[in-house]
Amino acid sequence: MVRETEPIANNERAFVKNVILEGLRVDNRSAHDVRTVKINFGSQWGHSEVQLGKTRVAATVSCEMVRPSPAQPTEGIIQFSTEFSPMASPSIESGRLSEEEVLISRLLEKALKRSRAIDTEGLCIVAGEKVWAVRVDIRVLDHNGNVLDCACIAAVAALQHFRRPDVTVVGEEVTIHSLDERSPIPLSIFHIPICVTFAFFSNGERQVVDPSLLEEQIQEGDMTFVINIHRELCTLSKAGGIPIEGSQILHCANIAAIKAAEITELIKAANMESQTRKEKKKESKRE
Amino acid sequence: MRPDKRNTNDIRVTHTALGQLHRADGSGRYQFGDSSVLCGIYGPAAIGLRDEKLDRAVIEVSFSAAHGKSTTRERLHERLLRSTFETAILSALHPRTGIRITCQTLCDDGAVLATSINATMLALMDAGIPLRSVITAVSCMVDKEGEVFLDPTALELKEAQSTHTFAFDNVSGGVVSCESTGVFTEEEYESCYDICKQGSDAIERFLRHALQKKLEKQSGLDFGKS
Repeated sequence: MVRETEPIANNERAFVKNVILEGLRVDNRSAHDVRTVKINFGSQWGHSEVQLGKTRVAATVSCEMVRPSPAQPTEGIIQFSTEFSPMASPSIESGRLSEEEVLISRLLEKALKRSRAIDTEGLCIVAGEKVWAVRVDIRVLDHNGNVLDCACIAAVAALQHFRRPDVTVVGEEVTIHSLDERSPIPLSIFHIPICVTFAFFSNGERQVVDPSLLEEQIQEGDMTFVINIHRELCTLSKAGGIPIEGSQILHCANIAAIKAAEITELIKAANMESQTRKEKKKESKRE
Repeated sequence: MRPDKRNTNDIRVTHTALGQLHRADGSGRYQFGDSSVLCGIYGPAAIGLRDEKLDRAVIEVSFSAAHGKSTTRERLHERLLRSTFETAILSALHPRTGIRITCQTLCDDGAVLATSINATMLALMDAGIPLRSVITAVSCMVDKEGEVFLDPTALELKEAQSTHTFAFDNVSGGVVSCESTGVFTEEEYESCYDICKQGSDAIERFLRHALQKKLEKQSGLDFGKS
């Protein structure tokens, strides 16, 4: 489809900028407010759907048994695949990678894979013979700004919710127990990296957390922190845009740490709720 | 007796939602038990000069599975969805435009094709695209003993001798499209048709109810019970 993202009128541009200069935002948030986060889990293991305001991302985790790479015979494999579904925005065409899509999938991989958040050695079944390959499919369903942060929450939530089937190894023989036969095993996760994105306005004088689509189109620069609850910085990305002073980066990092802690708690609470709901369902089935 | 205590001619618990996506012109979510599909629609909108048709709207469909790389199975589903909805959409009303349908499987627990046809129908109604009729789909399977089960789950499908998906038109009551795989006899096929016809009537009531609820909410009027 030819339809591109609609151009923004100069008046609207000026309005958004002026509002931010006054310390307000068009959608009635304060500068450091994140939009409402809603986390839903599917009835099957490892399926999450996250809404960040009007942005919506779904993540699905699946696993299969494969032969490990000869270079790392004792390590499992984790793969991330990020896709913008054509339903997310009219300018997205299926089969064609946009610049934004590449940027987001690379950053997500850095945030979740390179920060060694998931224990890959724990995914080994028989060294050099059989390991688990975990695949995380991230699908952007509705693009209303700050897809990266939303996708990160979805991926992390799905990974925490995921259970793999239990296995027993007797000599050379490997038995996979079905999910009903033995209680399935969660992945061992070392830490939970959370993305927090800032957008800069009026020559870097003002910054806002979690920019909406409108703000994203007007922003003069952006920066993403990937940080965990222990205040450890995993990834920092500032791809172009206006130059920022060092002190401002530190200031932003402190805000990011607070936001990351809040979001981690939200994911934990949602996971607990889904767990108890699952147990209740199981009990009612037995009766 | 089935693993989830249903009768052979029962469909699973159905859940519908309309207009959940903000960017799309119309969207619908349809769930058969644990199987869930989300569909988003853009259009009728301008498309490239090369693609446009002078006398009607071009219907584009993309379908993706819950996980893994896209395969020929997804292409087959796309083709089936496109040819099914080309008969339902009054495309001559919007010449030289395109209607883009995107289906995303969120959870796969059997009967995904039927789920995506129903999700697309909801999305088309939500987008307000002129339609000739309402199309509803349901699948069934025949096991090795020749018994027919409506709306099978992934677990039940492992025992299937043949599986059938029927899409019905609510105006003529006839079949718009059907897909069958496996070995089956003529009698089995006929009993599949009968059981799916009954199931699709129930689904049509669900869709009607979902749309009615949405319109009542929007307009603040009470349309009464149907």
